[in-house]
Amino acid sequence: MERKRKSPWSFMTNGYLLLIMLFIYLPIAYVVVFSFNDSKSMTKFVGFSLRWYEAMLQDRTMLESIRTTVVVAVIATAVSTVVGTITAIGLSKARPLIRAAVLEVNNLPVMNPDIVTAIGMMLLFIVPGVQLSMTTLILAHITFCIPYVILTIMPKLRQLDDNVAEAALDLGANPWQALTKVILPQIYPAILSGALIAFSMSFDDFVISFFTAGVGVNNISMYVYSMKRYNPSVNALSTLIVVVVTIILILVNLIPYIKEKKTKKEEQRL
Amino acid sequence: MKKVWAMLLVISLLAVPMMALAADDVLNVYNWGEYIDKQVITNFEKEYKVRVNYDVYDSNETMYTKLMSGASYDVIIPSDYMIERLIREKKLQALDHSIIDNLDNLAEGVRGYQQYDPDNTYSVPYLWQTVGIVYDTTKIDPADMEAQGWNAFLNPDYKGHVYMYDSERDAFMVALKALGYSANTDKAEELNAAYNWLREMDKAVRPSYVTDEVIDAMAAGEKWMALVYSGDAAYILSENEDMGYCTPSQGTNVAVDAMVIPANASNPELANKFIKYILDYENSLMISEEVGYASANAQVLEELSGEGGDYEGNDAYVPRDGYELDEIYHDIPEDLRSQYSSMWIKVKLHE
Repeated sequence: MERKRKSPWSFMTNGYLLLIMLFIYLPIAYVVVFSFNDSKSMTKFVGFSLRWYEAMLQDRTMLESIRTTVVVAVIATAVSTVVGTITAIGLSKARPLIRAAVLEVNNLPVMNPDIVTAIGMMLLFIVPGVQLSMTTLILAHITFCIPYVILTIMPKLRQLDDNVAEAALDLGANPWQALTKVILPQIYPAILSGALIAFSMSFDDFVISFFTAGVGVNNISMYVYSMKRYNPSVNALSTLIVVVVTIILILVNLIPYIKEKKTKKEEQRL
Repeated sequence: MKKVWAMLLVISLLAVPMMALAADDVLNVYNWGEYIDKQVITNFEKEYKVRVNYDVYDSNETMYTKLMSGASYDVIIPSDYMIERLIREKKLQALDHSIIDNLDNLAEGVRGYQQYDPDNTYSVPYLWQTVGIVYDTTKIDPADMEAQGWNAFLNPDYKGHVYMYDSERDAFMVALKALGYSANTDKAEELNAAYNWLREMDKAVRPSYVTDEVIDAMAAGEKWMALVYSGDAAYILSENEDMGYCTPSQGTNVAVDAMVIPANASNPELANKFIKYILDYENSLMISEEVGYASANAQVLEELSGEGGDYEGNDAYVPRDGYELDEIYHDIPEDLRSQYSSMWIKVKLHE
C-alpha cells in the first residue's frame, strides 16, 4: 500500500496548534515559575525559593478567602446540581409550551451581564432588610449556578429513549427506582459536567460575590481584585489552584476508564 | 455516592462556626488591600482577646458602594476627599478622644493637611503621601528634573521613555499644577487649559498609560520617568539606586488616608481602641516599614528616615510638608467627575 504523502499544509496546521497551545499554557507556566521566584519582581526571576508559599500560609485573610471560596463553591454546586437535575427531568416531561417558556426564563440570567444579576440580588436582599452575609453569598451562587446545570443536562435528556423508563415501570420498578436506576445513570455524564461548570462558575466569580457577600466574607477573587499592590503570593495561590484542578480533571477522566476495566474483568470471569 | 453527600454535609457544617462568634468580641475592619502589616492585626487580637474581620478594597468608590449597601464596619480607612464626603453625608460618628489619648503622636506635617477634619473629630490619619516623579538619574540630570518639574512631561527629548499613571484625577492634577491652577478647580477655562496641556503631553512624550505595574517596571529601570505615588516611589528607590524622586516645585497633591468609624458601626468602643492601638509607636512603625508609605506618627517618620532607618537617604519616603502650593483633593461633584473622565479618555485615544 502506498504511504500517504505528507501534505505541505501539515506543518502549518501543526504550527497553528502549537501557537494556540502556547497562548493557553504560557501564562499558566509563567505563574507557576514566578511563584517560586525569590524576589518581589514580576518580570525578573532571581532564584528559587518557597517564600511566597510561606507568605501565603501566613496570610490569614488569604487563607480565609480560600476557605470561603471552597465552602461556597461546594455548597452551591451540590444544591444547584440537585435542583437543576430535578428541574431538567421535570421539564423534559412537561408540555412543550411550558418547557419552552421555562427554558427561555432560564436563559435570561445566563445571557444577562453579571453586574445586572449582582445589583439585582443585592437589592433583593437589602430592600427587605436582610443583612448581607455568608448565607446571602451562598444563596446568590446557588441561584446563578442553576441555569448552567439545566442547560447542560437538557440536551442529554432529549436524547433519551422514553421507552426505557417506561419499560422499567412495566417490569415492576416503582417511579423512584425508575429515576435512580434508569434515568440518572443514563444522564450521569451530563450531571457531572453540569456540576463541574457550576463549580468553576462559583469558584472564580467576582462581580456577584462582591455585591452579595457580607462583612468579613471574602472569596479569592474579591481578595485578589482589591490588592492595592501586586503580591506574589497570588502566584503561589494560583499554582495551587492549577494543581488541584489538574488532579480533579485527571480523576474525572480516569475513574470511568478504571470502572469500565473492572466491569469488563468481572464479565470475563462470568 | 452516599460518601460524597456525607462529605458535603461535613464541609457545610464547618462553615457555620465562622458566623457564630458573639458580636462584642468582633471588630470589622475595612482597609485598602496590601496596606498593613498583618502581624499588627494578630497582636491586637491577642492583646484584646477579640477577633478581627479584615476586609479589603481597591478604591474609595468600591468602599463607598459597599458601605451604601448597608454593610456595618467598625473601622474604615478611606482617603481625604472620601472622608469629606462621608462627613457631609453624616455617615461617620465622632471619635472618643478619652480612648484615643495619643493624638499627640501625629506628625505636624500630616496635621497641616486635615482641612476635611481639622480637629480629628471624625478621623485619625493612618498613612500619607505625595504624588511625584520617579526618574532614572543616569538618563535625566537631577538638576534638569528639578528645574522642569511637571513640564518634564512635555519634553520631547523623553519621547517613548515615560510612564503616565492612568488615573484621571492625578493626571489633571499634574496639568493644573503645571499651569499654576488649583487641583480642585471647577472653572471651565482652567479645566480646558489642563485638557490641552495633557493632549500636548500625549503628543510630546507618547507615554505608556499604566497603573501599578509601573512599580515593578521602574524598579527594573524600564523607562526614564514615571508619575508615581511617593509610597510606591520609596519602594522603587530602595530597589534601584539609580532612581531619584522629584516633588515638583509647581506643587502637587498630598493624600491622607485616615481611620474613621462609620455611624452604623456595631462596636464603636473597640473601634476607638483599635485606632489608638494603630497610632501607637510600635504598631505605626511595623505598618510603615511593611507598606513603605509615610507614617502619620511623628516618631516613626523620624526613625525610618533617620540614621539606620529603613528609608535613610530615601528622598521619597517623607512627604514634603508645609509647602504652600501642595494641596489635598476635595470631593468633586458628579458632573465634574464625568467631565474629567471623558476628557481623560480622549487624551488617551490621541484625539
